[in-house]
Amino acid sequence: MNSPNAIPAATVILPYVLREKAGNHKSIMVAGSTIREIIDALDHDYPGLGFNLCYETGELRPYVNIFLDRENIRYLQGLDTPIHMGATIYILQSVAGGYS
Amino acid sequence: MNHRKTYEPGTVVVLVGTKRGLFLLTSRDRERWEVESTSLEGRRVFFATLDQREGQRLFAADNGDFFGSFLRYSDDFGETWHDPEVGIQFPEGGEQKLENIWTIVPGRPNEAGTVYAGVDPASLWVSKDGGKHWEINAGLANHPTREHWVPGAGGLCLHTIVADPSNSSRMWVGISAVGCMRTDDGGQNWVFANKNTRAGFLPDQYPEYGQCIHRFVQHPTNPNVLYQQNHCGIYKSLNAGDDWIDIQHNLPSEFGFPIALDAHNPDTVYVIVENDGRNNVNEQFAVYRTENGGEEWQVLGEGLPAGPGVRLGVLRHGMCADTLDPCGVYVGTNTGQLFATNNRGDSWRLIADFLPSIYSVTATVLV
Repeated sequence: MNSPNAIPAATVILPYVLREKAGNHKSIMVAGSTIREIIDALDHDYPGLGFNLCYETGELRPYVNIFLDRENIRYLQGLDTPIHMGATIYILQSVAGGYS
Repeated sequence: MNHRKTYEPGTVVVLVGTKRGLFLLTSRDRERWEVESTSLEGRRVFFATLDQREGQRLFAADNGDFFGSFLRYSDDFGETWHDPEVGIQFPEGGEQKLENIWTIVPGRPNEAGTVYAGVDPASLWVSKDGGKHWEINAGLANHPTREHWVPGAGGLCLHTIVADPSNSSRMWVGISAVGCMRTDDGGQNWVFANKNTRAGFLPDQYPEYGQCIHRFVQHPTNPNVLYQQNHCGIYKSLNAGDDWIDIQHNLPSEFGFPIALDAHNPDTVYVIVENDGRNNVNEQFAVYRTENGGEEWQVLGEGLPAGPGVRLGVLRHGMCADTLDPCGVYVGTNTGQLFATNNRGDSWRLIADFLPSIYSVTATVLV
């Protein structure tokens, strides 16, 4: 049984184009209490990966979608969305075809 | 075993940055061209250039649709790419965020290793080690008028950089829609250089800054002479940008993006002007040439398409000249055609078609 204070660990599923930057892993176990902490942890382990997901200002890039299990975090609490133990986080690029 | 790609000296390499990938055209005689893709497939490449001061290093502005904008470099003509150790990135937690990288310019011949880049939001970045580490030019970033700069339709982009080869302290940059700026102290201080260039879209049509400069080039043997293509006209400066002279004369439009120059006949300048729809002015797609520094312009259309259905546009970095004599000029359209001349524009031919929308062309003769 997990301690109530333990930092939850989640499985992060990476899109194909970012895997090379993350040691060619398709999925990575990452600990963090929020999506923002998950991104910080990813960037710590794979420097530069955070910049692929967020601007320097800290905001999520407009054509990057992050799903916590089945929910898009934009409709939850954004980067402050809390993580539960065993969560699956999907990082996806938007379906942006046809915009220009 | 390493099969590093190489080309023979004398080969002309034209780098074509497009909406969906970077392409390489090569020719030994400028008659027969080979078209190759690089491994930057599917990327939005705003600009690419080949630096031959130390080896042959190719730089590309790889502005991704989804996961950010990155300057990358390649030492094998685009087969493999490297990311800088410290790339172009604004401070974390600040107010500025990198939108697009617009241009990359190798420094002066005597400052091997120095490379400049211009980006949106308007700022100049400098590397002293061949692109491995980048830092922002603080003088321009902290300019006292900075908060009043406003973007053009393409963003607040620094798109043109000219480092004066005759004066290591002097440099010009072009920013839309701010105008031309010059430093005379190695980038510590910057002054506006827009006198007599028009901003027809503003109440004050001749402001100190706020002009929508599109592109400019420097005369290769007279460093005080600059030629500028602007949103509102074509101009020439004889005094390093202190003021400008209108040289539109018989051109059929004041609007266009690219400008190029014949290195062996530096009073020969090429522009492309467009109508309000951002296409050729009439039914003849044409390049315009002056051979007397802008006193008179000739229409160059031989070999270029014409007809009621011809509507071609050329973007800011979509034209360049090589350094051979007679010079070659290369024109890439936003519908994926690449036209070239090997006789100073007297005649043209299509050397590639069906490319994605072309953002930039740069030509280099390999040493």
